[in-house]
Amino acid sequence: MTTQTSGDVAQEPRRVTLRSVLNNAGIGLALLALILFFAVFTEHFLTPNNITNILTQITINLILAVGMTFVILIGGIDLSVGSVMAFAAVVAGKAITLPGFGPVEAIALAIVAATLIGVLCGMFNGVISAYWSLPSFIITLGMLNIARGAALHVSDAQTIYSFPLAFEDFGSAMIYGVPVVFMVAVVLVLIAWFILNFTVFGRLLYGIGNNEEAVRLAGHSVYWYKVAAFTICGLTAGIAAVVYMARLNISSPIAGIGFELNAIAAVIIGGTSLSGGRGSVIGTLLGAFIIGVLANGLILIGLSDFMRQMITGVVIIIAVVLDYYRAKYTAS
Amino acid sequence: MKFMKFAAAAATSLVLLANAAQAAEEKPVVGLIMKSLANEFFQNMLEGAKAHEAMRGDYELRAVGMQNETDFESQINAVENFITQGVDAIVVAPADSRAMVRPLKKAMQAGIVVVNFDVALDEEVKQQQGVELAFVGPDNRGGAKMAGDVLGEKLGKDGKVVIIEGNPGADNGIQRALGFEDSVKQYELNLIESRTAHWETEEANTVFSNMLTAHPDIQGVMAANDSMAIGVVKALESAGRDDILVVGFDNIDAVGPMIEDGRMLATVDQFGQDMAANAIDMALEVVRGGPELEGWVKTPIKLVVAE
Repeated sequence: MTTQTSGDVAQEPRRVTLRSVLNNAGIGLALLALILFFAVFTEHFLTPNNITNILTQITINLILAVGMTFVILIGGIDLSVGSVMAFAAVVAGKAITLPGFGPVEAIALAIVAATLIGVLCGMFNGVISAYWSLPSFIITLGMLNIARGAALHVSDAQTIYSFPLAFEDFGSAMIYGVPVVFMVAVVLVLIAWFILNFTVFGRLLYGIGNNEEAVRLAGHSVYWYKVAAFTICGLTAGIAAVVYMARLNISSPIAGIGFELNAIAAVIIGGTSLSGGRGSVIGTLLGAFIIGVLANGLILIGLSDFMRQMITGVVIIIAVVLDYYRAKYTAS
Repeated sequence: MKFMKFAAAAATSLVLLANAAQAAEEKPVVGLIMKSLANEFFQNMLEGAKAHEAMRGDYELRAVGMQNETDFESQINAVENFITQGVDAIVVAPADSRAMVRPLKKAMQAGIVVVNFDVALDEEVKQQQGVELAFVGPDNRGGAKMAGDVLGEKLGKDGKVVIIEGNPGADNGIQRALGFEDSVKQYELNLIESRTAHWETEEANTVFSNMLTAHPDIQGVMAANDSMAIGVVKALESAGRDDILVVGFDNIDAVGPMIEDGRMLATVDQFGQDMAANAIDMALEVVRGGPELEGWVKTPIKLVVAE
């Protein structure tokens, strides 16, 4: 009996993966349509420089969205990633500007500090919300405030600056016009894709999102899987902090306000269901592209700030409505 | 339970002690209301005010900030709390130039000396409510024009410029954008676009990169604060452009090196650290029976360029 349930749970994601190929084709088409639209109506959209710009500009959101995908797949949400990113960046900024270290040591220290802060904050979210089965919405809202307050406290609300040159070089490095930081994000997408599709852990995350009770009855510790999902989300916030610092060469305690919403939007536009259990990280990649292309293209077209904000909102709503029909269609 | 009782007793005795100390010295109490302490500018201002309190030693400072720039309800609450506490003076940097007029009127009617600094209250609303209140603060518009003029001088007629604005609706942001536009008019510059980046570095970096793509012939950038100017400078570096001039506002520490090596042309210092302290001095003058303040008491601003 037990093994049979376990088999069902493991089976479920494989079917979802197949469906998600179809889903992703839909999102891919939407992205293609956007790209065509901007290519026709603006002069500079398809120039190599602008493509480089778009890749740079979506990197941070993409990294955050990869972690967010794990959390949303188990039916949770993480509202704290923007604040955690700022907290991690500020602590890493303090670390990297410590006197008495060579550039290599300082950079290593900063990377360790940022990822550690991210992991700890994520783990905290996971442990609290999983242990007491509390809605992650409210726990991570708490963490949003804790991390933002901590970022301001640690930095005294000052911008931290003057990082080693090598760090800045990493932030602006390109290989054939592709920013290295974007490659880092793509590697994270691939790792996440592998974990979610080809490991027992990944399949069980889908299982938890679909039917938590079934996974529990199958003899798996739902608690630790949930903690792991939130920890991964925190880790990506820490990595995003490193990219933020390398790209701008400062650490600002007010960085990342509202980034959580962009990350969630990328995941949802990418076809992952807010109620969990369905979706893919490849969809998240496409979702991040849609948001980035939209933000870039609307400026190139010369639309005013306020109109831009309205259109971005409309696109998010359209994506969710489409998701409703997609779910209905694939279920039948 | 026991602990609660103990805590209550301790709290009571603390309050009694505090009251006793106050009664003994009869120091006037000044309530300082600032905007977001997450903003470097107000954090420095608070530090300055605390140092000032310690230096003068003849008044008691109670400072309140807010969570973020748009949370002006907490400022209104702070005014009401200060009225209840019966402070002698309220020194306030309003988050909203209209919403704050009414609560401050209540404070004045309660006999509290009110000094408005940093951002001026709206003239029209003041007249409507029958409030006469002086303003102590810098000329944001004039300051922005000083920076804009440096840019205008360099570029000359028809120089192509863009403005990176602060939060839409924020009074100092609006004044600075107006100041930049004054420079545009005076030097007959060509203002291509004006966009907000919400005072933030990363957003300024993204928004300006895209503006530069749309208009590669931009020659100058006016950013309404230095955090955004830093984002613009980084965008120029990654685009490999060193022919575009950038001016900012606030003179935060992080732009010091950029001004020196020419990545930024100019910024403006409005001595935020002293601003609250100066306003407190003026409030205490009035509390001690000095003449009422009138009109606009301008505080110093300074253009900062490479030496």
